[in-house]
Amino acid sequence: MNKLKLNYTSLSFLPILVCIPLGYQLINNIHFGGFKLFQDFLISAFNPKIDNEIIITVIKRLNETILIGFFSWLVSIIFGAIFGIISSNIFYKIFNIPNFFYRIIRFFLTIIRSIHEVVWGILLMQIYGINFSIGIIAICIPYIAVNSKVFAEQLENIDYKSFESINQINAPKFSSLLTLIWNPIINTFKNFGLYRLECSIRSTVILGLFGIGGIGTSIFLSFQTLNFRELWTYLWSLAILIILSGLIFKKIKFNTTNKIISIFFISVFFITILFSFSYFLYFIFNNNFENFNSVSSLFKSSPDLGLFDFLKLILETIILSLLSTGIAISLPPLVIGIFNNNTSKIFIKIFAFLLRLIPTPVILLTLLTFNNPSVSLAALTLGLHNAGITSKLLFTNLDSQDKRNYIAMKSLGISKKTSWLLGLFSQQAKSYLAYCAYRSDIIIRETAIVGVIGSVGLGWQLQESLSSFAWQEVTLVLIAYSSIAIVGELINGKIKNSLT
Amino acid sequence: MNNNTVLELENISYKYKNDLILNKVNLKINSGEKIALLGKSGSGKTTLISILNGTIKPTQGEVKLFNKSFEELDRKQKSKITTIWQDLRLIEDLSAEQNVNCGLLAENNFYFAFKNLLNISSFKKAHKYMKLCRLHTSIYDKKIRKLSGGQKQRVAIARSLIQESNILLADEPFNNLDPKLITTIKNLLLENVDKNNTKRSPKTALVALHRLDLLNDFDKVIGIRDGKIFFNIKRNNLKKIHLEEIF
Repeated sequence: MNKLKLNYTSLSFLPILVCIPLGYQLINNIHFGGFKLFQDFLISAFNPKIDNEIIITVIKRLNETILIGFFSWLVSIIFGAIFGIISSNIFYKIFNIPNFFYRIIRFFLTIIRSIHEVVWGILLMQIYGINFSIGIIAICIPYIAVNSKVFAEQLENIDYKSFESINQINAPKFSSLLTLIWNPIINTFKNFGLYRLECSIRSTVILGLFGIGGIGTSIFLSFQTLNFRELWTYLWSLAILIILSGLIFKKIKFNTTNKIISIFFISVFFITILFSFSYFLYFIFNNNFENFNSVSSLFKSSPDLGLFDFLKLILETIILSLLSTGIAISLPPLVIGIFNNNTSKIFIKIFAFLLRLIPTPVILLTLLTFNNPSVSLAALTLGLHNAGITSKLLFTNLDSQDKRNYIAMKSLGISKKTSWLLGLFSQQAKSYLAYCAYRSDIIIRETAIVGVIGSVGLGWQLQESLSSFAWQEVTLVLIAYSSIAIVGELINGKIKNSLT
Repeated sequence: MNNNTVLELENISYKYKNDLILNKVNLKINSGEKIALLGKSGSGKTTLISILNGTIKPTQGEVKLFNKSFEELDRKQKSKITTIWQDLRLIEDLSAEQNVNCGLLAENNFYFAFKNLLNISSFKKAHKYMKLCRLHTSIYDKKIRKLSGGQKQRVAIARSLIQESNILLADEPFNNLDPKLITTIKNLLLENVDKNNTKRSPKTALVALHRLDLLNDFDKVIGIRDGKIFFNIKRNNLKKIHLEEIF
């Protein structure tokens, strides 16, 4: 028997083995009472409710979603760029500032980034009460840190010799900085910043499920009342919004050599900064700190959470992350490889789009209709949602790849599946795995969402502790979350470096 | 050091990891002198130029500009030196015109850098020097990465010329240029050109070269081998034996 060789291709498929323990637990937890509900849910997708009343609600809710999503995107991208600059090496080289500050800022941003926007949202809601502004601030906090990391990474790629050359001209330091960072910042905004709008809309929807407002709140309410036809009206309208926003941004060409456009962007930049500051100050000083006083109990009370239970929750969260990552990595190439024909590809693409579209809490609640809450169910949900995202990337890369090897192999009589595997996928496997390493960072943070809904891991404990205003427990859970995410990011960083 | 000395190296050594790149180099460059720096690849020419312009700090010894050590000089004084690097060190993502304008960053404020990047002004000075370097108007807006080797070389030269500095340090500035252009560029580099392109004043220059046929316009020749200066003589005194020592 041939031994399995570990290479990038086999490593892309190997994680599918997580399906063995996962499937075992899912089969054991199955109950048939909710199949009818699940059936109704699926049928309603083709028969959404359309009447005047719901159309008005959709428009109103979409407006809220766009407002929260767009504003949080704008603020997070601008401040992400600013923090990206001050957390990049080049800034410290130009201004001769000790690297010590660079490490402090990076560490601070890593901690901020390690906590998911939903956790920030729930936390802020508990302090300030349900408020429209919470959505914007909850998204902005981790997004600024995430965006800053991407901007900083691009700025790290600035050729050191260009820096030396500009430095030797002895220009004012701000002029040198601006000249060196201008293009990397603009290019990162074009290549990454626009995609973040879609992420921002998705996050708004998820926060909506927790009561922030927008279409997410309507989705959750219709799910609670089992009004699936209404639910699908909201989901399809959300799909249209995401597709349209993608199309509009594809059409927009950012020509930085055009005077009027340049002045417009600079104006938007400064107005956003000024507005954000004033808005933030207004929010801080004009809101009721509903339960904030109970934070003082942090120093008085002792946590009720036992050490054993706490460690169990941490372990559950880690297992949840690993299982979900396994599905997200291996499922797309496996499915695309097996169903490798044009018709199947269309269905896979539609299915992947739906997995990306439907918020993870809704997928989880749907699956809960016929399965008991468990780590496996939460992992399946998170894994499927992220597989929808990784498959989009894989399809894009495979479609743009040179197909000569694939055609040559097929012409030699090699089967279509083997030709696809060796002629197409094998060339993509390395970059695909590198992206999956980045994706697993996000999966670790997203365990909070499915944890809250699916009663697993630290997410569930966070919800419980917040509901009972047990701030010491909340702090413990947040530290644990943050630590898991930071360790995960370090490991994934090593993996990414070895793959790129 | 006499009053005429503009640049001086005192007992300079430079070590990179365990390799001694420059070994106790002493050098004085007087105002208006045009010096050719000869030596094999890896002999230490580029390191010497990098130390002279303050890009790298020597492991030992002191560099003086106008009788002051580099640390004592302010930004404006340091900007009196212009450098043409062997590897050009242009910013690949910027256009040819934007790169040439980078040479003016030292004498302008932040707003100039902003205008340069946004292209919201007409840059006559940049156009003048690009024209002098025989760069066609069609490439002004082109990004550096889309230019040929010769065009990039001339952009780097135009960026240096626009600084209108008194002291030129150049590392193989005639690479990638055809013979006709070499004469034009050599004249531009070794003489200061005023605003009307008429009046010319002497310029101090240290130019690293490989080609011996270009030595005619230089006053002195310095030979460097294994990080040590082997000779520092007037061009007229250069003999075959000198060249055999360093090549």
